[in-house]
Amino acid sequence: MSKQETRKQLASLSFSEKIKLLEKLRDRSLAIARAGLRKNMAGTTQKDK
Amino acid sequence: MRDTLQMINQMQSDGIIGKYAIGGAVGATFYLEPSATLDVDIFVTLPTVSRSSLLNLAPIYDYLKARDCKVQGEHIVIGSWPVQFLPASNALEEDALASATPTEVEGVPTFVMGAEFLIAIALRTGRPKDHNRILQFLDQNVADLGRLKDLLKRHALESKWEQFQRRFRGQEQ
Repeated sequence: MSKQETRKQLASLSFSEKIKLLEKLRDRSLAIARAGLRKNMAGTTQKDK
Repeated sequence: MRDTLQMINQMQSDGIIGKYAIGGAVGATFYLEPSATLDVDIFVTLPTVSRSSLLNLAPIYDYLKARDCKVQGEHIVIGSWPVQFLPASNALEEDALASATPTEVEGVPTFVMGAEFLIAIALRTGRPKDHNRILQFLDQNVADLGRLKDLLKRHALESKWEQFQRRFRGQEQ
């Protein structure tokens, strides 16, 4: 399926279904941010040693 | 989101806010494919305060803090979502609230701004992410361009629209 078709298909979902996807995207972004923060903190700790 | 909207509807029933509508990225998701966002923009009218103190959000914050919602910077967390309350501060936003589209999320009734209003507000706000959202609306052909042009004219946004068209779509009006 082309990118354009995928976008159309996603746009045609109900608002409730889209909100569920938004929540998954948000949780993933937060998890990535937290993992990055942990990695940075670990790096800092190692450097400090 | 269900809990978030139920609380906002309760605030409305209790007279803390007047009309409200979801705007921003979550509002745009009503029309477009979902795109990552960390918060919900809720545009509101505040019926119980005088016009001179329209920006006073204290009644909203007091109401929500009394119900265990936590303040996080410019947001207040309701359910699992950080929410930013934006009092309608100009005629465009007031029109957007007056004409908001009723819908529902997981059985909870709510309101979303019309596509043309989301575009006009994004145009006025003018950050890169707003421009990107406008392009998404145009690419997916979900806005009524005649209605959008009327709206832009009514709210003196025509020259900004022309600049946008020239910059991002290579068009002369």
